[in-house]
Amino acid sequence: MKRNLSPPRGLWLFALPAAAIVVVPVIAVVWRTDWSNFFASISNDVSRTALVLSLRTSFFATSLALIFGTPLAWLLANRQFKFKAVVRALCVLPMVLPPVVGGVALLYAFGRRGLVGASLDEWFGIRLAFTETAAVLAQFFVAAPFFILVMEAAFDQVDRRLVGAARTFGAGPWRAFVTVTLGLVRPSLVAALVLTWARALGEFGATIAFAGNTAGRTQTVPLAVYSQLESGDQDALALSMLMMIVSLGVLIALRGRLISALRRGGQ
Amino acid sequence: MSLEIDCRLLRGKFSLDVQLSVERGSTLAITGENGSGKTSTLDMVAGLLACTEGKILLHGKALDDSTSGRFVQPELRGVSTVFQGGGLFSHLSVEKNILFGRNAAYKNTTKLDNTIGQFNLAGLMSRKPPTLSGGQRQRVALARAFLAPSDILLLDEPTTSLDAVSRDEVRRAMKAFFEIYDGVVILVSHDDTEVAELATQVARVRVSRDETTSAKLGGLVVK
Repeated sequence: MKRNLSPPRGLWLFALPAAAIVVVPVIAVVWRTDWSNFFASISNDVSRTALVLSLRTSFFATSLALIFGTPLAWLLANRQFKFKAVVRALCVLPMVLPPVVGGVALLYAFGRRGLVGASLDEWFGIRLAFTETAAVLAQFFVAAPFFILVMEAAFDQVDRRLVGAARTFGAGPWRAFVTVTLGLVRPSLVAALVLTWARALGEFGATIAFAGNTAGRTQTVPLAVYSQLESGDQDALALSMLMMIVSLGVLIALRGRLISALRRGGQ
Repeated sequence: MSLEIDCRLLRGKFSLDVQLSVERGSTLAITGENGSGKTSTLDMVAGLLACTEGKILLHGKALDDSTSGRFVQPELRGVSTVFQGGGLFSHLSVEKNILFGRNAAYKNTTKLDNTIGQFNLAGLMSRKPPTLSGGQRQRVALARAFLAPSDILLLDEPTTSLDAVSRDEVRRAMKAFFEIYDGVVILVSHDDTEVAELATQVARVRVSRDETTSAKLGGLVVK
């Protein structure tokens, strides 16, 4: 007899299939990957171009999230302003919106005939849709909410009295922000950046709607996987495997921090 | 030359009236029950809170004045603080905490060396605050506050979290420092022995509970 409080019986019956739905496809990809040709597959022209493009666009999308998301997250955590609840809801909207709908929305905003896009084209000759910039914007649209949410929680956890202490020891508002606030949230900042980057790297729906699927210009890795799969190309499997390795790497790099970051800003 | 406080803080239903005057070179102890507004008083002097009405003057110049709208930012007030629990930056080493706000020229000076020796910090300089005991943290916080050039030194229950041995040690260090310090010291303390030993004047916050909670700080008792 085990001497402890008995849990509800039979939960495993339901928990195991849930785990299987995640685990079995991963095993399937590992199993079907042609490992002897793995490097050849991911370094053929289409794959390599897609990889380089993905790395570049996801880097820029993550940088945009860092530059514009950090101030917004701080304001949400520290300041009261009109329509704050609305602003926060709009920040989270892309998380619940189907990405392809986000892409359509971006198209109608920044496309050639779009709300802003028409003027951009007319006045400055700037056409965003179906360019590499569009791929970056699509990734930013979908990934930035993760950054903002994690960072808002992180800023909210910062002890305001420590920032006050920094001020009394001669630091101006900016110096206190950089040396104390940002220093204290650094673990969360790292987690937020990795999470945002991973989401940007995997972006598909918004990209295909707003940036299209042009090899060398807007065909990022997920789009390349899709195209190769459509044409029955075995290379799709190798690229999928690569994406899986990257995702696993992200999880290992962050370990428990990812979950605690989502839960409470990771501090 | 002195610090003059004559102000009121309103926060929802809570109101705090403070009327205090502290001469340069003297130490004012503030006592009173928890939640009565002792820390808020320090925050108003430090510039972390603005007075709702009234003013705070240092050597005749307004740090905060609700009539003229003047409010000097904390970093420009020449205050130095030891917050409850120390107020140390947990992501920075002890050395960086102590030198926070000082320039690099401050390193390796005799004043720094003396303070490190006085507070017995030599072996702790590269550690981070979360790895220190409560007493060690408090010694770091005091060293940081003593090293900062200031006109006003604010101490919020600096010995509360300490055991008896380190409390005596820290008190001796404070006493020695107050004797050479020529600014204004405000010390919030619950400890009567400490107040008797260190303070040159005492103010008690009196809380009256009627419809709204209000507290009055003033009516100086000069030793």
